[in-house]
Amino acid sequence: MAERRTIVIDPVTRIEGHAKITLHLDEQGEVADARFHVTQFRGFEKLCEGRPFTEMPSLMARICGICPVSHLIASAKACDALLAVRIPPTADKLRRIFNMAQIVQSHALSVFHLSSPDLLLGMDADPAKSNLWGVYERDPKLARDGIRLRQFGQQIIERLGGKRIHPAWVVPGGVSEPLSQENRDEILAAIPEALKIAVRTLSWFKKISEGFREEIGSFGNFPSLFMGSVKEDGSITFYDGKIRVGDASGNLVADNLAAEHYADFLGEKVEPWSYLKSAYYKPKGYPEGIYRVGPLARLNVVDRCGTERADQELAEFKELQRAAVLSSFHYHQARLIEILYCVERLQQLLNDPEILSKHVRAEAKPNAFEGVGASEAPRGILFHHYKIDEQGLIRWANLIIATGQNNLAMNRSVLQVAKHFVRGNELLPGMLNRVEAVIRTYDPCLSCSTHAVGQMALQVQLLGPAGDLLTTARRP
Amino acid sequence: MCRVLIVAFGNPLRCDDGLAWRAAEELSQQISDPDVRILTTHQLTPELSQTVSQASSVIFLDAARSGVPGEIVLTSLLPERPGSVFTHDFSPGGILNLSHNLYGRCPQATLASVCGECFEHGDSVSRTVEAALPSLVARIIELVKAAGQV
Repeated sequence: MAERRTIVIDPVTRIEGHAKITLHLDEQGEVADARFHVTQFRGFEKLCEGRPFTEMPSLMARICGICPVSHLIASAKACDALLAVRIPPTADKLRRIFNMAQIVQSHALSVFHLSSPDLLLGMDADPAKSNLWGVYERDPKLARDGIRLRQFGQQIIERLGGKRIHPAWVVPGGVSEPLSQENRDEILAAIPEALKIAVRTLSWFKKISEGFREEIGSFGNFPSLFMGSVKEDGSITFYDGKIRVGDASGNLVADNLAAEHYADFLGEKVEPWSYLKSAYYKPKGYPEGIYRVGPLARLNVVDRCGTERADQELAEFKELQRAAVLSSFHYHQARLIEILYCVERLQQLLNDPEILSKHVRAEAKPNAFEGVGASEAPRGILFHHYKIDEQGLIRWANLIIATGQNNLAMNRSVLQVAKHFVRGNELLPGMLNRVEAVIRTYDPCLSCSTHAVGQMALQVQLLGPAGDLLTTARRP
Repeated sequence: MCRVLIVAFGNPLRCDDGLAWRAAEELSQQISDPDVRILTTHQLTPELSQTVSQASSVIFLDAARSGVPGEIVLTSLLPERPGSVFTHDFSPGGILNLSHNLYGRCPQATLASVCGECFEHGDSVSRTVEAALPSLVARIIELVKAAGQV
């Protein structure tokens, strides 16, 4: 009987949430299969049943400690649909500002705090030093830039929403409070510094990425579909617009898809080995309908960003590969371009003459029993879909999060990296770190209430065919 | 830049883990000096290091899990490199380390902790901790006075 062994990476480190990876080896010690398992269960779709719909934005914000704003906005938009109201123009702009502040702080977390140890110290760095402290020692300026950029986003959220985490400022019909002139001026004053940081980090990244050619070639570098929201003029949007699907050749597969009809083109498959559902593009079926969302996908499907510097960077980005940019390693660069775009766009919105208007909320009672809200979260499109009864109580809810939409691609990426780098007969930390690093390119948000368990040790187990433990390696 | 920074941290939805928030609320009513800044946060994260670097003196308020419930302990802090490799559980000493190494300043710092006895889900503190809060607040005010602030 052929021996089949398994390597388990549990937990996967420097991601938001808890997951593990198993690598299945064949009798020659080569990787035969790989899976990315999400090992936690949240259950928000069930626990909100019976609650008044007006509570939903605040409840849903509790899904996540990193991107509560994304859930607030998608949820409030679903509630707007239940009310059947058009929110005031200033509320619309304030929500956009709020969402982009969130994108900036979340992307900064991903690049500077989670992935920079790989990027700055290298994939083969000593695991004991491949962490934030290693980055702080090697490049304090980069560390300060990361801290400052994250602060920039957090402080906007705090100024608008009253607190950095789980603000309840976005409500059905708009927002609860207008923006004060003092807060507007304070945010504007911080923009030049944020812009400088965004520009110099992009410059740094493009320089160091030349040293990762092998990773670029093997980190999720395969054909897939890409999905993202675009405005009518084809430019990027994080708040509204229509959904566009592109393929690996850079061709449009679908355009002008309405978020409220997501069930017509998105399917979800449950696999027994993960709590994370796998979304797929229905017309192509499962699993051929594999698609990616988030920064890489958004920049692949848009025609332009719509701000000067970001458009220059986008033009350069689109030259990275011949048609669509396929390698998931390029998520990092796409993330940095989106930070740059957001900072530029924030400046435009904050200088809008309407932005200090006091009319920021439309009042209404429910006018529909079903509503869908969608927005672009840092990691991709987020859908909230609710059904209510005549008392306005939630009877059914469905959430499709970005990380689930990337699930098929993450699994395929893990397999590609493992096949390329891992040799089961000679396990080296750098091999396993690359398997984790490809997951980090997607910046998955798994628990949405991130917290470390103990020392977040990386434990790699080599198991025999009967599940017997052959050896264990533990990361400090 | 403030002269005294009070950082109250913990989870107010885990009973006694939220005692620092309660103390911060009381302190904000008793201290009116604009040079004393009071922050509440669930966790210590790297972003705090810049703010800490700009203070002359820092007091961290936290719940402790070991000791006699209700016991108040004041400890002088020094920068430390924590064992954790992740970003979610920075210690006060880790924040001081960042403050020193990234921003070139490490203020005088004290950790004021109260040992809790209940860390289950809930938004109220135990009777033991409740009884200790006035003493904790009084001792923090003494520390602030010692820094010449009140």
